[in-house]
This record gives sequence, structure tokens and C-alpha cells, in this order.
Amino acid sequence: MDKTAKGLSRRTVLSGAAAVGLAGVARAQAPGEIKVGLIVPLSGIYTRPGQVMKMGAEMGIEHINAQGGIKALGGAKLKLVVIDCGDTTEKAKNAAQRIVAQEPDLVAATGSYLSSFTLAVTEVTERAELPVLTLSYSDLLTDRGFKYIFQTAATASRQSELGLPTLMKLAENASGKKPKTVAMLMDNTATSVATAKALKEKLFAQEGLQLVVEEVWTPPLSDATPLIQKVRSAKPDLLLFMPNAVSDAKLGLEKISEFGLGQGKIPTVSFSITIAEPDMLQSVSPETVQGIMTIVANWGSKGHEALIAELKAKYKEPWMTQNVISTYGDMWLMKEALEKAGKADRNAVAQAFRTMDAGPSKYYPGGQLKFDEKGRRVDAGVVIVQWQSGAPVTVYPPELAQAQPFWPKKP
Amino acid sequence: MEAFLQALAAGLLIGAVYGLMCVGLGLIFGVMRVINFAHGDFMMLGMYTAFYLFTAAGVQAMFGNTVGPFISILLAGPVLAVFGYFVHRTLISHVSGTRIASLEGEGHYAQLILTLGIALILQNGGLIVFGSVLASIRTPLSSSAWELVPFFDISIFLNKARSIDAIVSLAIMILLSLLITRTRIGKSLRAAADNPTAATYMGIDVDRAHRTAFALGCGITAIAGGLLATNYPFHPFVGLEYVIVMYAGVVLGGMGSIIGAFWGGMTIGLVQQMSTLILPTQLQNAAIFAVFLLIIFFRPQGFFGRMVERT
Repeated sequence: MDKTAKGLSRRTVLSGAAAVGLAGVARAQAPGEIKVGLIVPLSGIYTRPGQVMKMGAEMGIEHINAQGGIKALGGAKLKLVVIDCGDTTEKAKNAAQRIVAQEPDLVAATGSYLSSFTLAVTEVTERAELPVLTLSYSDLLTDRGFKYIFQTAATASRQSELGLPTLMKLAENASGKKPKTVAMLMDNTATSVATAKALKEKLFAQEGLQLVVEEVWTPPLSDATPLIQKVRSAKPDLLLFMPNAVSDAKLGLEKISEFGLGQGKIPTVSFSITIAEPDMLQSVSPETVQGIMTIVANWGSKGHEALIAELKAKYKEPWMTQNVISTYGDMWLMKEALEKAGKADRNAVAQAFRTMDAGPSKYYPGGQLKFDEKGRRVDAGVVIVQWQSGAPVTVYPPELAQAQPFWPKKP
Repeated sequence: MEAFLQALAAGLLIGAVYGLMCVGLGLIFGVMRVINFAHGDFMMLGMYTAFYLFTAAGVQAMFGNTVGPFISILLAGPVLAVFGYFVHRTLISHVSGTRIASLEGEGHYAQLILTLGIALILQNGGLIVFGSVLASIRTPLSSSAWELVPFFDISIFLNKARSIDAIVSLAIMILLSLLITRTRIGKSLRAAADNPTAATYMGIDVDRAHRTAFALGCGITAIAGGLLATNYPFHPFVGLEYVIVMYAGVVLGGMGSIIGAFWGGMTIGLVQQMSTLILPTQLQNAAIFAVFLLIIFFRPQGFFGRMVERT
């Protein structure tokens, strides 16, 4: 009895402790669960896009786990950690600091809707060496020399470079003549500013377009009369209307139709997903938006039918916006990186993103699943979406198109 | 010329709704001297009340898309007035009226914290209950206009929804003035505002007058919110966007003056629209505050300072 008690007091206890420690190490090496983050606005005025991104992330994780999780890690399951980045850049930065501090075993994250939020969030995640995927457009995101940000969407300037010539061709084919004058109405958010810069510095001249009206507003607008009055006086061949808030879009479009410029009298094109959000239909009539086109970085298109149907059934979303499909794709991209890295380590995952070359992409338009030295997805393309009979449908590129585009004609 | 007249028309129409919004806040401040930070959120509740009355309670089905919105907006007023009455009775009355003698800083600190707290609860409660999807009181009037042709080559568009909004605002403003100047309730409100102690000695129930003022203020702002919502899609945080306009309007018009609050709101609408004629549109709201500072510099008491008129 005595002997046993003595034995227990030293060696057994020590070896027991060692065994417990080893078990801990063993658990860390073959994790049953791998945490990935979603840093999006879930309070304040940008809640809605944040919630929609969450739907995409949840669907992605569900599908990946149902198909056996991360095979390179023994079928480990992905677990989503969601954090609210609020409605200001300050809150976004704080959210990033919180998630970095509270979740040391996070391997990658995605976010944060507005370019301005993503800029703030990645200032923090870069220092914590946490790889972040983003669907934000601003060129600045990947112009800062950061090593842990990966932009899956074409940058704002690239989108205008890709989109405008296509639009001009479309106009020429459908109406027989090329537009000559253009009016540009934009808000002063980071994305619009980046798009406008590319348009003004290069593309308008290249396409032979003369800029006759340029107006910039600070969102939210309270009334669009002064903006549309200028368009009415100038009578341009083409209107580029670039709002990033549904309320601004509604005020502008309704004013356009009130002034008798709607229904194709002045063909209207946008450069953001706002104008094609499901929320729009709750605010304006389908006639007000008919024919309006927008150039976006991603959209639920041909080949995504099953996903779109699932989204409809599960979340009652009428169509799949960029926010859903890109965030869904981000989950698959993280899985790809984890398989390649072979371990649940954020630096290894970041390295896997940098060296990845996984061929054409299923959930982002054009290009490859490969990032250049800046962290931009190689040859990322754009999608042109057009409102047709109460729903925005993909009309370009042809391989993704759900319908033929039409150029609004004067009635 | 066309641009000038168009901006003037838009300014007057939107100014009338801003004016009504400011009147609601001005009434509460004028009578109770309580700075209500939750006022924008009461407006938000008014917008949602009008929205649900219109869509879910059958007003749309009964009256259609043209008259229906305005009926539901007018009904939202009394609903919010009752809500305001109870908020005052259960919360605000503890830090205002006759209770302030026992509170630090005449209850102003407590009022500030309480109304900010109510604002936060309403905003986040709104997010839970109403969701983040933008709501809108949809009417075909918001995208159509009456075209005026004052001269041969000039035509001015008056947005139908905004024009009716402005008419309703003016009508409510006139009714409110009559209520305050011609009725017993109005008399007790004025007495409670001018000198609460003397009013108490005269047998006026000051707390009750405050409750009435708070209820009226909430009801009026709810109607203003509803009118705004015919053109403007809203969400649970919409109050934040307008509470600054309301305060600027009230201060501009002269703290405590109801007519002043209306003209303060009107001025803001006009400056917001007319400034775009000479300044870039993105400075629209900066222009409001530049004019605001200018007026305050030359007339610190506002247009209708308290020496001229107090509620």
C-alpha cells in the first residue's frame, strides 16, 4: 500500500501530466475543427450586405463539411467564426483586433464588404499575419505592399477597363451608333472614386467619350433633384450612375423617371452591385429599373443554378448577388489552400494562397485561382448584369450569360 | 434659370417636411426643456408604423397606392403619440418636470443618458424586430411629377409625392398652431413652458402638460417621418441621419419656438438644395452647417429667439 502511494506521488503524477500534455499536442496536430473568420457588418446601415455574405459563408462551410471536410487534415471540419465590423472604419478596425486576439487559431478570414472597412481591417490582420480574402474593389487594398491580403475581385480600375469597352460595343451593336457624350454621377466612397479615376484618366478618351456632367455626392442623398437636373440640361448619350446605397439609387432612379429621362431615354449604367440588390425591388417599381446595366465583380450566373435554388429555398433570397457567391467561393478557396498547406497554420495557408495555381475558377468570373505578387487574382474578370423584367440577369460574359443583353432604345 | 427654379421648388418641398420634423422636436424642447436624443428613432418607429399600417394592416388593399400611403402616415401619428405618452410616463417623467429639483444639473445629465439609452434600444431593437432589409412606402407618386411651364422654354417638375408631403406638412403645422393658440390644452402647454412653478400655482398639471407635449412631439415627427418615407427607403438606423438636421433646424429657428423650428427646417431644405447651384453636390451638407454657423453668428438666439415667442 505504502509503496504504491509513494510511487503515485512523483513518477506517476509526472508521467500522467506528460501524457496529458502530449495528448494536447496530438490534438493540435490533427485538429477536428479548423476556424475560418468572417469579418462583416452585422449592425448599422450595412447590416444587410453583411448578412448576405454570412449566408454565402454558411452555405460554403456546409457544403465543404458535407463533402468530407479538409482531406489533407484527416477530414477536419471547417468552423465559421463571425464578427461584426459595424458601420464605421473605427469599429471595423476594433473588430479585427478583437478577432485576432480572441481567436489565435484562426487560419484565414474574409470580409469586409466596403473597401474602406477592408482597408481598416487588413491594417490589423496584416500585422497578425492572418490571410484575408476580400471581394472589395479598391485598388488601394493591394497597392500597399501587404502580404496577407488576397483580392478575388477585379480591382475597381480594372473593372472599368474591362467593362466600359464592352458596354460601348453593346451600345453600338444594338443602336447602330456609339455614344459620344457621357454624364457621370457618383458618390464619394472609395470604390466609386477608384472607378471614376480610371474612367477619367484613360477610358473616356480611349472610347471617344466626352464627359459633359460630373457630380459627386456624399451619401446618403436627401434628394436627387440637383443631380438629375444637370443631366436633364446636358442631355448626354450615356449616364453613368454610381450609387453605393440603395436609398441613393432609389432617389436617383425615381428622379430620372420623374424628369422623363427613364425607360431608355438616357441609357443608364452603374458600376456597383447596389443597383441590382434585391432591396431595390422593395423600393422601386420594376419599370423604373428595366434595362439598367451594372458592371460588377461577380454574380450568380450560368452554372450556379443549384446554388441559386438552394439560396432561394433556404434564405428566401430571390437571386444571388456578388456578396453571396464570392463569400461562398472564398470558403472553397480557403479549403483549397488548407489542402495545399497540409496544416492548420495561418502562415502556411497564406503561403498556399501565394503559390496556388488551381486553374479556372468556378465561383469567380474569368481568370485563374492564382494570385499575383500584389495579391490580386490573376485575370479576374467582370460580369455585366442587366435588369430584365424585374430581375437582374447576367448578360456578359457570354459563357456565364443567362440572357441576351438589350440596349435601351428611345421609345 | 431653370436650374434655379427647380432647386427652389425642390428646396421648398423638402424643407416643408424637414420643418415638420423639427417642429416635433421643438415642441418637446420648448415645453419640457428636455433634449431628446431619441427623437430620430421615434421618427424611425413612425416610418415603420406607417409602413406596416400600409402593407400589413390592409390600408393598401382598401385605399390603393395613391391615397393609401397618406392615410397610413396620418394614422401612424396617433399611434406614436400614444407610444410617446407611455415612454414619458414610464421613463422621461422620472428625470424631468417637477422631479428635476432632486437631480444633479437640473436633471440634464440624466435626461441625456436616458434619451441616448432609449435611442440605442430603439435602433438595435428595430434591427431585431424589423430586420436590416430596407423598407419603403411605395407609391407611384414618388416617381412622377407635375410639370409647370412658367415660361416658354422652362419647365419645372414638382414631384407628386413630395408636393403632397409639403401640403400635409403645412396643414398639420396650421392645425398645431390653432391647437396651441386657441385651445385649453394649448394654453396649459404654453403656461407649463413659460413658468412651470406659476403654472402649478394656477392649478395646471405641469407633468400632464409635459406628457401631452411629448406625445404630440412624437406624433408629429412620426408623420414627418412617414411623409419622408414616401421617397426615402429607410432602415432601423435612419434616425441617426436626420437627428442632426432636426437639431440644426430647432437651433436655427430659436430654441423653444415652434414656428421657428418650422422655418429652421425649411431653411435647411432650401440651403441643401440651392447650395448645389454654386457648390459641388458633395458639399451639400457642409453648406447647411456653414449657413447654420453664419446665422448663429449674427443671431445667436436663432430666427425666432425666445424673446419673440415661446411656446
